[in-house]
Amino acid sequence: MSDTLVLAVPSKGRLQENAAAFFARAGLEFVQGRGARDYRGQLVGLKDVEIAFLSASDIVAQLASGHVHMGVTGEDLVRETLADADAKVALLTPLGFGGANVVVAAPRAWIDVRTMADLEDVAASFRARRGERMRVATKYINLTRRFFAKMHISDYRIVESSGATEGAPAAGQAELIVDITTTGATLAANALKILDDGVILRSQANLVASLSADWSEATRESARAILSRIAAEEEARTTREVSTALANPAPALIAEAETQFSARLRHRMADGRLTLNCPLDKVAPLADWLIAQGADHVSVAALDYVFSAANPLYEKLVARLAGRR
Amino acid sequence: MSRAVTHVPTPADAVATHLIHAGYARCEPAILQPASIFFDSGEDLRGQLYLTSDLSGAEYCLRPEYTIPVSRHYLASGEAGRIAAYSYCGPVFRYAAGQRCEFTQAGVESFGRRDLEAADAEILTLALDAAAIAHNLDLSVRIGDAGLFSGLLTALDLAPEWRRRIARGHSQGKPVAAILNASRNGAGRDHSGVLGMLEGADKQGARAFVEDLLSIAGIATVGGRTAGEIADRFMEQAALRSGVGVSAEKVRIIERFLRIEGEPDAASAQLRQLASEAGLDLTAPLDALDTRIGFIAALGFDVAALRFEASFTRDLDYYTGFVFEAHDRARPDQKPIVAGGRYDQLLQTLGADRAAPAVGASIWVDRLGEPADAEGQGA
Repeated sequence: MSDTLVLAVPSKGRLQENAAAFFARAGLEFVQGRGARDYRGQLVGLKDVEIAFLSASDIVAQLASGHVHMGVTGEDLVRETLADADAKVALLTPLGFGGANVVVAAPRAWIDVRTMADLEDVAASFRARRGERMRVATKYINLTRRFFAKMHISDYRIVESSGATEGAPAAGQAELIVDITTTGATLAANALKILDDGVILRSQANLVASLSADWSEATRESARAILSRIAAEEEARTTREVSTALANPAPALIAEAETQFSARLRHRMADGRLTLNCPLDKVAPLADWLIAQGADHVSVAALDYVFSAANPLYEKLVARLAGRR
Repeated sequence: MSRAVTHVPTPADAVATHLIHAGYARCEPAILQPASIFFDSGEDLRGQLYLTSDLSGAEYCLRPEYTIPVSRHYLASGEAGRIAAYSYCGPVFRYAAGQRCEFTQAGVESFGRRDLEAADAEILTLALDAAAIAHNLDLSVRIGDAGLFSGLLTALDLAPEWRRRIARGHSQGKPVAAILNASRNGAGRDHSGVLGMLEGADKQGARAFVEDLLSIAGIATVGGRTAGEIADRFMEQAALRSGVGVSAEKVRIIERFLRIEGEPDAASAQLRQLASEAGLDLTAPLDALDTRIGFIAALGFDVAALRFEASFTRDLDYYTGFVFEAHDRARPDQKPIVAGGRYDQLLQTLGADRAAPAVGASIWVDRLGEPADAEGQGA
């Protein structure tokens, strides 16, 4: 029906800055139409793509309903908002920012409580003594229900909290909380501790695709173009190009480099010059090893992009779309 | 689908009529109920509610079940503890992903009868007869007794915490040994120094010591638990470290009890044998079991066709005595067609000034006569 791919990105805050920076690194620059207040934009050089600036929670809703094709949002919101998230959206790749954990935190004074099993026990005797259920303040109602059910905790009651959840126990509004935390500092400042097995979800910003959007030929092509740039940037960021010259680079030697250092062959000249691509953390060991094999010099270069015929992100999207029914 | 103009009697009508003729006055609470009355049934049920609110901000839901609204009707219309019998038949609403969320439930609730076992037997046979009138399914019926299991834990003279823990773990389907081990492996390892000091200390002194520690740290009542409660449980961890808990002998008795099942009279005989060998006084709950079986037989029901399972208690937080459920014998893995039991605590939690006898049963009318591949069973 429509040939325009709609890409939703957060409209404000740190998530927006990080998302803009992420796309810019991939050579995808936003142009916001008619000033900063316009909530629609374009990507430079990709004419059939429209950017929708939305709140992070609206992005989840629009992905689920299929009104946008792809979006940037936190996994916590996806899992909280959508009961059957994996049937409605595909989490294509984590983006390396917006990291935070959804955790169960109890008062530090509860020295007898370290684990969810302790909490289950305390919740039951709390109810037996008081005739009331222990209260859990949270905005993550569904994540809490699913996690507590998995941990066999039933003697509790959720108190909805939309902000400053960490203050609820001190204010007498709840006994414990389920909240998102990055460093744990806010929890500590409120005399709360995270239970040992109380991490419900390790969340970060993800590139998420809708499975119910109108995926026409044209929108798939736009998605392929965007995802190949993201993949190319990701490949460049996580690998280095390693060049050297060996007198006789036998195929067995190149196979050895791949098994030992995950290095992939890029070029091989008749005169023995050799270019490999290798994960960042394997660069130095690979260089040492090449010298041991007889190389005089090994030069390593960071690249801006590594485009490949194979595009794992796009292939993931196509596979999920094919299996969506 | 549009409704036919001429009214053809449905299975639901037949069930409702049968229950009314049996002396259970029809009670139809409003479909729209105050949501808060179901909140104490736990987050599982709360997550299945269809919620709405009005302009004043009051929160309502489509009724997810009948027992609480019917019980509230009973309490509102007179003194708790008087004898009353109600029946109901209508739609209930519960969310379940990918399934039908509106289904028809019929049922009965009997309040206030002091002849508990006779009331139990009447509810069971009435519910099974009603289901049989609507559809001629071959039902397999299993019965149990939550009171018998509670009675065993009491007779074993376990600490209240342990009674609760075992009862709760059993409701979650855990074997007794797993329940005991989980508690032993739980908290306290980070405070092993303090716990070690408390091992073997006299109880009063140790408790005062832990309370002092908490007060030095500036902690009085935090998050709804008192320092004393925290100290008590902290010391229990110390006791567990030194192996005080439930003796291996008692664990064996509980495990043997839970394995008893079969034809009711034979199971009852096995239970009596266990009680006498273990030297436990279970006379009252075992007499109740036999009396109930006698009444079921007296109502013309083939008792040998019932299967008694000592481990079958349903939710021990809710059910206090007799429990039963009936499955289509052709589809034993599906949810039950008929289920019920005794819940003598509910009226008090709903605000009655004392506990009062209550026993009831639900019949899922939609589950009668659905084709074998049908989806959409709830509850």
